[in-house]
Amino acid sequence: MIENILINGAILGGLYALLAFGFTLIYGVSGVVNLAHGAFFMIGAFIFSALGPFLLSILGPLGVTSTVIPLLALILAAIFVGIAGSIVYRLTIHPILGDEVAIMVVTISVALIIQQLVLIGFGFSAPVTPFVSGSIKIIGVSVTYMKILAFVLSLGLFVGLWAFINYSKIGAAMRAVSQDHEVAMLMGVNTETLYMLTMAISTAFATLAGVFFTSALLAGQAVPHMWLEPLWASFAIVVLGGLGSIKGTLVGAFIIAYVEHLVAAVFVSQGGVIVRAIPIATMVLILLVRPKGLFGKRIEME
Amino acid sequence: MHLLEVNNLTKRFGGLIAVNNVSFNINEGEIVGIIGPNGAGKTTLFNLISGFLKPTSGTVKFKDENITGLAPHKIVNKGIARTFQVVRPFRHLPVIANVMISMKSPRGARKIEWLKTHERKALDLLEDVGLSELMLEPAENVGHGDLKRLEMARALATEPDLLMLDEPFGGLNPLETDFLTKSILRMHLDEPSRGIVIVEHKLYALMKIAQRVVVLHQGEKIADGKPEEIAKNKRVIEVYMGKEM
Amino acid sequence: MITAYLKRAYSSFAAHVFDVPPRLLAFLLFVLHLVLPVAKPDPFIQLTVFDIFFLAAFAASWDLLVGRSGQISLGHALFFGIGGYTTGILSVNLGLAPWITIPLAVLVGVSASLLIGLPCSRVKGPYLALVTMALPLILVQLFKLDLLLPITGGEAGVGILLPIIPSAFFRMLGFGSRDAIRAVALATYYFALFLVFAASVILYKIANSKTGMVFVSILDDELASKACGINVTRYKLMALAISSLFAALIGAIRGHFATIVSPGRFLDLTVSFAPVMVAFLGGIGTIYGPLIGAYIYYTLDRFVLQKMTQIPFLAFTDWEHVRFLIFAVIVIVLVIKWPRGIARFVTDKLHDLEEARDLDERGKWIWKTYKKRKKKE
Repeated sequence: MIENILINGAILGGLYALLAFGFTLIYGVSGVVNLAHGAFFMIGAFIFSALGPFLLSILGPLGVTSTVIPLLALILAAIFVGIAGSIVYRLTIHPILGDEVAIMVVTISVALIIQQLVLIGFGFSAPVTPFVSGSIKIIGVSVTYMKILAFVLSLGLFVGLWAFINYSKIGAAMRAVSQDHEVAMLMGVNTETLYMLTMAISTAFATLAGVFFTSALLAGQAVPHMWLEPLWASFAIVVLGGLGSIKGTLVGAFIIAYVEHLVAAVFVSQGGVIVRAIPIATMVLILLVRPKGLFGKRIEME
Repeated sequence: MHLLEVNNLTKRFGGLIAVNNVSFNINEGEIVGIIGPNGAGKTTLFNLISGFLKPTSGTVKFKDENITGLAPHKIVNKGIARTFQVVRPFRHLPVIANVMISMKSPRGARKIEWLKTHERKALDLLEDVGLSELMLEPAENVGHGDLKRLEMARALATEPDLLMLDEPFGGLNPLETDFLTKSILRMHLDEPSRGIVIVEHKLYALMKIAQRVVVLHQGEKIADGKPEEIAKNKRVIEVYMGKEM
Repeated sequence: MITAYLKRAYSSFAAHVFDVPPRLLAFLLFVLHLVLPVAKPDPFIQLTVFDIFFLAAFAASWDLLVGRSGQISLGHALFFGIGGYTTGILSVNLGLAPWITIPLAVLVGVSASLLIGLPCSRVKGPYLALVTMALPLILVQLFKLDLLLPITGGEAGVGILLPIIPSAFFRMLGFGSRDAIRAVALATYYFALFLVFAASVILYKIANSKTGMVFVSILDDELASKACGINVTRYKLMALAISSLFAALIGAIRGHFATIVSPGRFLDLTVSFAPVMVAFLGGIGTIYGPLIGAYIYYTLDRFVLQKMTQIPFLAFTDWEHVRFLIFAVIVIVLVIKWPRGIARFVTDKLHDLEEARDLDERGKWIWKTYKKRKKKE
């Protein structure tokens, strides 16, 4: 029981961290609350599911093994969604940057458009099969290899992106823009390109998280309506950790994941519903108790 | 009895001490200037008094009542009004509505009467600062110098006993500066018991109107006295001109 | 002289800021609706106009919150649905009369809004939007719990609600049964008409009172409002409460007319999106804009998009999805290109005419300088 919560909570936490990182990144850098983040998560899984057979039909005859193809599809899906994300950003969000109401209305519309497009293009569900099969027992809990792979890749990507932001030149520009975008502009940072790049990274990470989630946790089925819950989860994580804090995102992700598993274990029969409400409940609680989050800097006056 | 008493006020932001153990008083009907180089903690001090920031330690007393850490709107209703360094008009509202927002609506009074008397009052205020001709203009179409004066009219509309102006001369040309100086002095004559605090680093304009000047440097008070005395104060000259002098 | 001038100044100031649609226009619109069922006794049009009324009033309540006080709710279906479900559950399970259950539904809706508003209005940010967006869908999940299923009906919903205007009443007056049905339909139409106009007028009056002015000041600059002595949290809660009051009221009445309150029509994300769409079509922050927006929406929907399904090339099965997609695209284009909406555009033009004609000498002078400034920019 406890082992179960410990291990599955950790895996969920790792995936949540990957999911929320993209959300907090675009929020931190450009101040955009991207309500379409969950939609990119969802369409990523669908594109991955379509790319798999497609690549197999092209590369299969060339002798590429079927273990490489899912990884290739994963990378291609991430790149594709990343490019799409930055185009969407340039077309819809950039012209209204700074207007909070407009941004939320536009991003929710984008999310709905993506949902409808997926419904039209892919139908009501698509299979996202695990890339690796089999399972192993860790302290008495059976864990599929796919879960382990997803967990390791998620944490790896998280650390990689964190290092990228902290040590690369582009990362420095991102941090500069998040501090003060006008000064950064004066220093010669092209904010438009930077925002587009940030959006591309953010959506690409959402895609990766989407594929990992559906293949490792959600019984291998992607559905068009699975964008709301990831959105709430990432928002709750970011609020819990403190807006703009990467460390907070990581800690928040694990806290939410563990709370969800704990609650699911306690309310076994009706767990599903209550688990869904946890991100929002956490958020409200945080707003009441400590609005700046766990690691947030002092809450801004304006 | 002092109008405002600030005792040992301190504000820390993490490791940075923005305001360090500052104490001073303001009497009724006094015009006090607070000066200091950039980063001296003037605006932070303002925010502490007006409730936009909570002090780390120390107290603020207004008319012998402790108002430390009260919410900003409560402090306004006690009788302290402030302006902002950067103008903050309500863009979508016309100039006259900007002023009317600040006015207290009396309970029980009939609405039409209220509108009548308050319109007249708002118009009078706008007349005083020279904006009556722009009264129907949405604030987003009004120029910077006019907005500075609108900001002042809006603060005055709350009928304050203490008016705090944060860099009222910032970004104004000499002509506008002159006009504003005159309207502050006239305002002082109209309501002689009202205290006025002006934060400024343009010394010239301030020295002409302030009766007393408080000098801040790196969060600490280094001088407090009449403008003429301050102008001769060695420490102040040092701070402003650099140590080499 | 001066009082006349002040009067003039106030009326033109109100006209200028608050985009008052000329009273005559509003009155004409009302009369037009009044005679519509007599002039054109087409049940299809009557039903469409009926739908338009509800959507317009619902969207007006959203507009007061978002367009005037700047708080974003992306889940107004929450209050709409709470209104519908409360009256539905009480009416079906306890058999209470509508005139008891509807006020109770409003009460529950307002309480819910205050519960949500208390944590969310303390901080600036997208919190309210996310919480309101999530709660309706969580409610739907809750309603499916075994414990609540007998009361809420799960996916099927609560039914059948008691009618507000019972046909028995007309039969009592001596109508034949067929006539009674027609009389009920007509009475329903007029009921909705008066309701929507009353709700719109009240919302409009609130939006243009001093309280409404304070809402706009909060939208423009929260910090400066505080410096003006305004209790920002209280006014934000007030805006939310007023908005949810009307949303719940309209939801409750809608529930009685629909006879069944189901998640799909009362708590779905599409229900939340409808006022957003309609408000942006008509003009956000105008309160009356949603009525125009609702007309545009239904005209597009019923008379353009549905006709398009008859074109062979377009007649594929997923038409429902395409329709929704098209409206989402329209919203994005409107927000980016024409954020003031269509209603604002029209009233701006009307004002141009009116102001030029109406203002006295001094007014003309102000108007001239205003125009000059505009030109300079």
